[in-house]
Amino acid sequence: MLSIKNLNVAINGNHILKDFSLEVGKGEVHAIMGPNGTGKSTLASTLAGKEEYEVLSGEVFYKGENLLEMDADERARSGVFLAFQYPVEIPGVSVTNFMKAAVNAKRRHLGQDPIDAKDFLKMMKEKQALVEMKKDMVSRSLNEGFSGGEKKRNEIFQMAMLEPSLCLLDETDSGLDIDALRIVATGVNKLKTPDRSFIVITHYQRLLNYIVPDYVHVMFNGRIVKSGGKELALLLEERGYDWIKEEVAV
Amino acid sequence: MALTDKIQQEFNALEKDLTALNSDALHRLRLQAIGAFNNLGIPGNRHEEWKYTNIKTKLPESITLLPSAGSSAPAYHSFDKIATTKLVFVNGNFSKELSAIKPETGIIITSLKEAYSTHKDLVDKHYGKLVQYSEEHFAALNTAFATDGAFILVKRNTVIEQPVFIIHLFNNADTFTQSRNLIIAEEGSGLTFVEDFQSSGSAAFFNHVSEIFVEANASVTITKLQTETVNATGVYTLEAQIGRDARFTCNTFTFEGKLIRNNLNARLSGQNAEAHLNGLYYGTGDSLIDNHLLVDHIVPNCQSNQLYKGILDDEATGVFNGKIFVKQDAQKTNAFQSSKGILLSPTASINSKPQLEIFADDVKCSHGAAIGQLNENAVFYLRARGIPEEEAKAMLTFAFANEIIETLQSEDIKAYLTEILRKRLNISL
Repeated sequence: MLSIKNLNVAINGNHILKDFSLEVGKGEVHAIMGPNGTGKSTLASTLAGKEEYEVLSGEVFYKGENLLEMDADERARSGVFLAFQYPVEIPGVSVTNFMKAAVNAKRRHLGQDPIDAKDFLKMMKEKQALVEMKKDMVSRSLNEGFSGGEKKRNEIFQMAMLEPSLCLLDETDSGLDIDALRIVATGVNKLKTPDRSFIVITHYQRLLNYIVPDYVHVMFNGRIVKSGGKELALLLEERGYDWIKEEVAV
Repeated sequence: MALTDKIQQEFNALEKDLTALNSDALHRLRLQAIGAFNNLGIPGNRHEEWKYTNIKTKLPESITLLPSAGSSAPAYHSFDKIATTKLVFVNGNFSKELSAIKPETGIIITSLKEAYSTHKDLVDKHYGKLVQYSEEHFAALNTAFATDGAFILVKRNTVIEQPVFIIHLFNNADTFTQSRNLIIAEEGSGLTFVEDFQSSGSAAFFNHVSEIFVEANASVTITKLQTETVNATGVYTLEAQIGRDARFTCNTFTFEGKLIRNNLNARLSGQNAEAHLNGLYYGTGDSLIDNHLLVDHIVPNCQSNQLYKGILDDEATGVFNGKIFVKQDAQKTNAFQSSKGILLSPTASINSKPQLEIFADDVKCSHGAAIGQLNENAVFYLRARGIPEEEAKAMLTFAFANEIIETLQSEDIKAYLTEILRKRLNISL
C-alpha cells in the first residue's frame, strides 16, 4: 500500500524528517507515537501533499505510484485521506456542498457521472449515523463554530464518505473528551476493511485502547527508532518516552 | 471645445426648451446647480475624493448631455417573473411601452417628467432638498440637466410588499445620461425597490441621482444592481434622509463596469433611525469600482452598519471609502463598518480608506478593514479532499461573496445574483 524510503523533509529550512522509512501493507493499522516535535505531523502533512513541506530526498510509493509527484488533490482523489489535527473553519461553505464537490471530484477521477442527488442524501445520512453526527450539522458552514469533538467527528464522517484506501489520522484524539474519543474511534473501527490501511499518529496511548494497532512505531528526532506490536504502546504509557531517548543516545 | 464649455452651452439650450416643463422653483434650482458645477468642474485625481478614480479621462469630449431622442429599446434582462411593477428608461427617457404600472391605492408611481406637472407641489417640496450640489460635482451636473427618472411616493401607513423595479437601459454611446429619482416614503410606510442598470455590451455613460425621503417609522430597502454594464462609465449618487424610528437599507451589487462610482449618503436625522449599507463588488478585466459611503449621525440613539466586500481579479481596481460622521449631539450612536477585499490576481488592487469623524463622547463606533488573498489553509483543506485547486478557490470566493447576497430578502434576486457568480466562477453548486 505505502512504501516510504529514506525520506528527508524540511520546513522553513529546518530539517525535520531524517531518513524516515516505513512500509504499510494492505489492511494494516500502524500507530506512530513519539514526543512532541519529533516530526509526526510533518509526516502526515508531507504525505497529504502540503506544499510548504520540502522533500529533500527519498521516495514514497503509494499503490506502486510515486506519491511525491502527485498534487495534494490528486493524492486525495487516488484514495489518500488526512484527518486533520486542526480542521479549518470555512464560513459560507456548507458541509453538504463541500462533500458533494469532493465526492464528485473523486467520481470524475474514476470516470463516473456526478452522484445522483437522492443517492447522495442517502449516503450522507448513513455516514452521519456512523459517527453519531447531528442531522443539522451538514447544513452548517464547514467546521465553523463546531466544538473540538464535532470537528473530529466531521473528519471521520468525511473519511467515511470518500472511502479512501489509506487513512492518516493526525492526533485525532487531541482535544477530545472520553465520550467523543469513543465515538470517533468507533467510527474508525467501522471503517476498517481488509483493503484499507491506517496510520494513526498520536501522542498518547489512550486512543490505541479503541483503535487497536497491528504495529506501533516510536518516532524520535525525525525517524522511527523503535517498532513493535500493540504492547509497545502500553510500555510507553507506563514508562514514558525518556527510556527510548536514552536507548537512542546509546 | 472643452467639455465644461460645451456643458454650459448645452445647458443654455436645454433651459430654452424647458420653459414649459420647469416650475419657477425648478428653474431657479437648475441655475444654481449649473453655477455650482461651473465652480466645481469635472474632478481630476488631484481631488481627494477622486484620487483613485480618474473619471475625467473616461469621459469623451464629444459627449452630449442633452436628452437623447428615444431610440428603440435594446434586448434586456426584464426580471419578468418578479418585476410586476416596473419603470423602464431607455437612455434616460421613460418608456411607457416597456414599463408596467398597475394602479394601486396608497402609492404613486410615475415618471419624474410626468410628476413635474401632475404632482408639482410634492416635487417642489422635496426635489433638490437632499443633494449637496454645491459640493458634489456630479450631483450639481445632474441637478442642472436631469429631466426624467422615477417618482415614487408611498402614502402614510401603506406597505408595498412586492418590490418595484426601476430599470435603466442604455444603447447610445454619445449621450451622458442624466437621470433622477425622487422617492418619498411617508410616515409608517414601507417600500422595497430594485434599481438596475443595463447596457448589454455597448458603451454607456450615465450620471444618476436618487433622493430618498424615509419619513418617521417608515422603512425603505433598495437593491442596486450593476451586473450587466461591462462597458459603462457611471456615477450613481444616492441621498437618503432617515427620520425618527425609520429604517433604511441599501444593498449595492457591482459586478461590471469600466468605471462605476457609487456615492451613498445616508443622513440619520431622527432618533432611533437605522441605516444599513451592504455592498458586494467583483471587478474583472480593467474595471474600476469605487464605493464612497457616508453615514451622518446628527441626532442621538441611531444605529448604522456598513458591510462591504470586494473581489478583484485580472487588472481590476477597487476603491472603498467609508465615512462615519458622528456629530456632537449624536450621543449613544452605534456605528459599525467592515470592509473586506480579496485579490485574485497579482495585478488587481484595492484602495481602502475608513474615515471616522466623531464629535460625541458617548458612542460605540468600530471599523475593520482587511485586504488579502484567499486563506491558503482553507484552499489546502478543500484540496485534501480531492477538490482541484481552481475549484477550491472558486468555492471559497463564492462563499466570501455569498455572505452579502444572503442579507437580501428576495429569493429571486438572490438566485439571480448567485447564478451570475456561479457562471463567472465556473462552479456548479
